[in-house]
Amino acid sequence: MKKIFFITVILGISSSLAQNINDTIPKDFQYINSAQRLLSEKNGLTLGAYGEITYNQPEGDNGELDVQRMVVLLGYNFNNKVQFISEIEFEHVEEVFVEQAFINYSVADNVSLRGGLMLVPMGIINEYHEPTTFNGTERPAVYSTIVPTTWREIGVGLTGRIPDVSLGYQAYVFNGFKSTASDNEGGAIGLLKGSNGLRGGRQKGIQSTVDSPTLSTKLDYYGLPGLRIGLAGYFGKTQAEDEIESLEGSTIGITMVGLDARYRYKKFSARGSFIYASLNDTKAYNDLTGKDLGSALRGYYVEAAYNLLSLTAKQRLVAFARYENYDTHDNTDGIPSNDSYNRTDITTGLSYHIAPGVVVKGDYQFRDNAEANSNVKNRLNFGIGVWF
Amino acid sequence: MKKYFLIFSLLILNSSFSIPAGILKKADKVIAKFYEVENFEKEVILIPREINEVTKSEFGDENFFKITSGNTFLGYGYIGSAQSKAATFDYLVLFDKELVITKSKVLVYREEYGGEISSKRWLKQFNGKSTKSDELRYNEDIIPISGATISVRAMTQSMNDLLKSLALIEQKNIL
Repeated sequence: MKKIFFITVILGISSSLAQNINDTIPKDFQYINSAQRLLSEKNGLTLGAYGEITYNQPEGDNGELDVQRMVVLLGYNFNNKVQFISEIEFEHVEEVFVEQAFINYSVADNVSLRGGLMLVPMGIINEYHEPTTFNGTERPAVYSTIVPTTWREIGVGLTGRIPDVSLGYQAYVFNGFKSTASDNEGGAIGLLKGSNGLRGGRQKGIQSTVDSPTLSTKLDYYGLPGLRIGLAGYFGKTQAEDEIESLEGSTIGITMVGLDARYRYKKFSARGSFIYASLNDTKAYNDLTGKDLGSALRGYYVEAAYNLLSLTAKQRLVAFARYENYDTHDNTDGIPSNDSYNRTDITTGLSYHIAPGVVVKGDYQFRDNAEANSNVKNRLNFGIGVWF
Repeated sequence: MKKYFLIFSLLILNSSFSIPAGILKKADKVIAKFYEVENFEKEVILIPREINEVTKSEFGDENFFKITSGNTFLGYGYIGSAQSKAATFDYLVLFDKELVITKSKVLVYREEYGGEISSKRWLKQFNGKSTKSDELRYNEDIIPISGATISVRAMTQSMNDLLKSLALIEQKNIL
């Protein structure tokens, strides 16, 4: 009896105190568990994760099963204006990376300043790379070869939205790619190469070398029903260690532009992306390092998809087809163009979304390149992905 | 120790819906602009506790109100809060005298992704919906936004909850 009285008193006191608590607790919370509830408080901790486990089976070759990545999202809201967001990634089980770690400071309605390790806004997949957000077991190859996803560097910048015209904008100053490292004998080791362009130059915030800043910007327009269009630019030079900085060709200049579009209408969806990068001083770079870096990288993909289940169904079964062409030797300076770097992938398959946040994928990839005796193996892929 | 935990939990669970001053101020600005009036009054409509308990939307001490200017009754307003992926966002919905939606606006969006739902053009889709409308279905009646799926779903769900809750309130002749 005493206990009940005690509880009643507490309830009474707390409801009167509640008037002074400047917080809003929506009723939706009744439908989620207490852990979620605690984690999603405005002033509090956010915990989430995404992960993908894949199986690749090239024709007549060894198959591979891989926990490709498992990423833990950890965020904290210090108050209404200041948040910290981080993603800690376990790649292939054994490698640990920090994929994002930045402070977001909301300085006005719809305007935030950001600083830390952030994703470079270029195209679609670099920023939206969770496995439930794209079709196909593997990310589109344009987003590993041309845009080196997950491309992130340390920097500062501004992000915001203009709701009246349905426009989002981002502008950051980032540290750039590292093109060369010292071989400790007065020469340079090249980190960028012909087959995958800039990918080897990502510094990922690991004791990065810094000597000149780069600029990254993106505009997103989402004012037309179902359509979202993005235009991105990235400009700057690569970084080199001080010992070799003065060597001709130790750094190159990069101008990258990206155009992307995503469209959805009921069961139908489509997306596409075009990326072009012009690289300066690649002749000097190749001469210095003995690499075969192209002077222009280009890639695009188009994808159409259709949900085979009813719109009212809780699950989605999406059939899709994707065509990609990407060439890391779209142009070369002083070296012959390697046709095997001009690649075409056609991917077709299914994405079965068992619940929002859980997907099972299966697809087949017809892969080819422009070489006369191309021997790229087609492959069958399966994967499971989660995001919460 | 256990007791303190109990007290603490009760305090959290029992806090009712109360709106920070900054959000009220933002809502007032939107109302003034929408009705093109400099001065207006908000007359809070208190929903009995037993009804609030069964409605999906939350009705507190100040978030549902009649808007009048001088002697003119302009319409109703509701300030709500919904959950996006990792944070909550606050919104205002304005209704005419017949409880038909005339304007909706996201007042504060806190998460780093999904803020596209603040788009004026996207929110216009809710205009004209009322307590008599059929349930709004994501991707059928409400057009999705790529990159903002969770927020779009959350806003659609909140609007459905609100319209259903208001239908019940109308039925009980509270207004």
